Amino acid sequence: MKRMSLPLRLAFAPALLSGALFLGGCGDDAEPCCESPDSKVNSELIITFADQVVVPTYAKLATRMTELDAACKALATAPSAEKLNAAKQAWQAARVPWEQSEGFLFGPVAGGYDPAMDSWPLNLVDLQKVLNNGDVLTPEYMGNLENSQKGFHTVEFLIFGDGGTKTVGQITPREFDYLLATATELKRVATVVHTLWIQPSDGNPPFRDTLATAGKAGNTAYPSVHAAAQEIVTGIVEILDEVANGKIAVPFDSGDPNEVESQFAYNSLSDFTNNIRSVENVYLGHLQGETKKGTSLQDVVGVGSALDVKIRGQIAASVTALAAIPEPFRESINDAASADEIQTAQTAIRTLLETFQGEVQPLLTK
Amino acid sequence: MRRAAMWGALLLWTAGCGEEAPGVPFAPPRAGGATTIDDRSSLAFMQPANNLLPENDRPHREGDAAFAAIFVPAPSRINPGLGPTFNNDSCNNCHLRNGRGLPVMGHNIQRTQLLVRVSLPHGTPDHPRGAVPVPGLGFQVQDRATVGVAPEASLSLSWVEHAGQYPDGASYTLRSPRVRITPTDGSALPPDMLMSLRLPPPVFGLGLLEAVPVETLRSLEDPDDRNSDGISGRMNEVWDVATRTLVPGRFGWKANSPTLVQQSAEAYFNDMGLTTPLFPEADGTFEVSADVLQDAVFYSQSLGVPARTFLDDPTVQRGEKLFSKLGCEACHRETLETGAHPVAEVSWQRIHPYTDMLLHDMGPELADGRPDGAATGTEWRTPPLWGLGLTQTVLPYSGFLHDGRARTIEEAILWHGGEALPARDGFRALSADERGAVLRFLGSL
Repeated sequence: MKRMSLPLRLAFAPALLSGALFLGGCGDDAEPCCESPDSKVNSELIITFADQVVVPTYAKLATRMTELDAACKALATAPSAEKLNAAKQAWQAARVPWEQSEGFLFGPVAGGYDPAMDSWPLNLVDLQKVLNNGDVLTPEYMGNLENSQKGFHTVEFLIFGDGGTKTVGQITPREFDYLLATATELKRVATVVHTLWIQPSDGNPPFRDTLATAGKAGNTAYPSVHAAAQEIVTGIVEILDEVANGKIAVPFDSGDPNEVESQFAYNSLSDFTNNIRSVENVYLGHLQGETKKGTSLQDVVGVGSALDVKIRGQIAASVTALAAIPEPFRESINDAASADEIQTAQTAIRTLLETFQGEVQPLLTK
Repeated sequence: MRRAAMWGALLLWTAGCGEEAPGVPFAPPRAGGATTIDDRSSLAFMQPANNLLPENDRPHREGDAAFAAIFVPAPSRINPGLGPTFNNDSCNNCHLRNGRGLPVMGHNIQRTQLLVRVSLPHGTPDHPRGAVPVPGLGFQVQDRATVGVAPEASLSLSWVEHAGQYPDGASYTLRSPRVRITPTDGSALPPDMLMSLRLPPPVFGLGLLEAVPVETLRSLEDPDDRNSDGISGRMNEVWDVATRTLVPGRFGWKANSPTLVQQSAEAYFNDMGLTTPLFPEADGTFEVSADVLQDAVFYSQSLGVPARTFLDDPTVQRGEKLFSKLGCEACHRETLETGAHPVAEVSWQRIHPYTDMLLHDMGPELADGRPDGAATGTEWRTPPLWGLGLTQTVLPYSGFLHDGRARTIEEAILWHGGEALPARDGFRALSADERGAVLRFLGSL
């Protein structure tokens, strides 16, 4: 989602509390930031996050984008209802890791790759112009087109049509060309983002190392472990705010279906749910179905503690509340019968947001 | 300004540990006064001011939405009007996470956030202190266009590396940009064309800088260097579109914009091809309403400034003293005070932006050779340093200086010339440990 997160009032830090983040008082303490021996806010927390959550999520995204590209090629080569269905499923499968990555939209993806994959609304005027002109869709030509006529939602528009009504016979040869060019670029972008996390590039270390070496000498991006830990929780807070107060609130308040993302595939609520899963993955320190392999935010909170039980309950409540809203979401926003369900989901997500802001963030301050 | 410019630094204010009175420790400096927020994450430039009034929460959110809005060509129900030629399609697609852009160029998947300003050295501008447009390019090369329209030109960027060495033998490499402009229509560029490459600066704290009284900035001016400290400093003089008069300039790399509303309208017009009440269509209509323009302006005025970190770190404290001792503070003024401003949150604040908002001659190596308002081809406005250490947290691989040539804060210092030459040479002469301390201090801002 390209619509930037709405700002948050981080009211947990009173202005005059000099110790608000990492500012200690005055003393002979030579260490700017120090890990007390029993602190769970340590390098392992950061490394687990990077290696067990972020990198596997981007790896999965790169794989699924590759599979989407292959499914689109198969469809274009021998169009059939079955192949179209497979392409649709591949698109939905690729959405899962992308939306599950939105709980950590920082690092390389922030350098222009997010809008390259996921701009909304679509620029249908220019998209239609390209469908109508005879230009050859080389990678260079595609590079000159705006993000708002490429990416996930262009593929969605081309293969689902409005509300998934598109039949294979309705896809024109030109649409196939555009679909292939877009899917190929998506694969390339997702691969680049994954690569930037795991491999050096342009003289820069892999971003995984930038994060994992937080607090080590010379790390200018994350000069302390606490800065990296705060980054992790800020990502959670950002996406929860975005889902409750952006992705749901904006179209719900305006009643404008055009504001609803992933509306062609009726995938909006799945998107939102995977955003909550993203938070869950970060909190637990592993992806769904994987086993825990290191310290995570859950350990900082205390496994089995009252707060841990509360957080896991609120995550589950958010997922349940989203499941109760009927798709198509773009119609539910104007359906009086769904208003309660939508508000219940917003409340559940806002409650979770408040818990992270009010009770988890303070655990990461010194 | 309550302190005399001649006395240099307000060191006492930030000496870290000390006492204001017996038993009363100094309050730590709050970079943006009451607007200051405690956030050192990649979202540090995206938080509302800490003192944002409840009634301004909604305007701030509307401004956030305006800043994020992706424009598309008309007709569209949402955000129409992009182009026909432009550089980018939203505020945030240049000011990534409200910070800088990336120093990359060309038609890659990352998009270009660098801009190229152009003009001719001779001719008749259409207003005083104006520039002379280049036929076919105007004042800014718009290298993107809506489908079916030719962009003005294509741009490519390459870097030239320059090896250097500290007196202690440590080596470093600097790089400077080479930009190639290829007009789409195949025409030749005027041989005497002036060109300036610009990276988007961060957008937080701008309301505070707008609220510094002009008298304060005038009091800091020393155009003829009467105090013989080698530092001149003067305000730019630029054209105010609304009043059609010459006024002091404040914003932009050369302080070539007088107000945030004009700067925002210029960005809509030049960068996105969007008309506003300040820069309307020929028939007087406009694509971006006064309300939306005001939303975007208010957003930039009401963002929080990130607090400094590591205040109690001895290395940071040592670096801070060196920063002052080297003379950096002569231009990068630590403390300013704001006065009355329509935005209550930024009025009457003591702030620590590390800028004097004035133009200084930075020498031939940094020069773009393109005058802008009253600024010469070698003058640049002192950029604020607050939040400096968060630059690559907010945006990995971002760069420093007006064109992003500096990959690190250290490289940025090493590019300083002209009036800043003594300070740069002083930095070069430091021991590796001392240089590290200066950099750690700057990284803590």
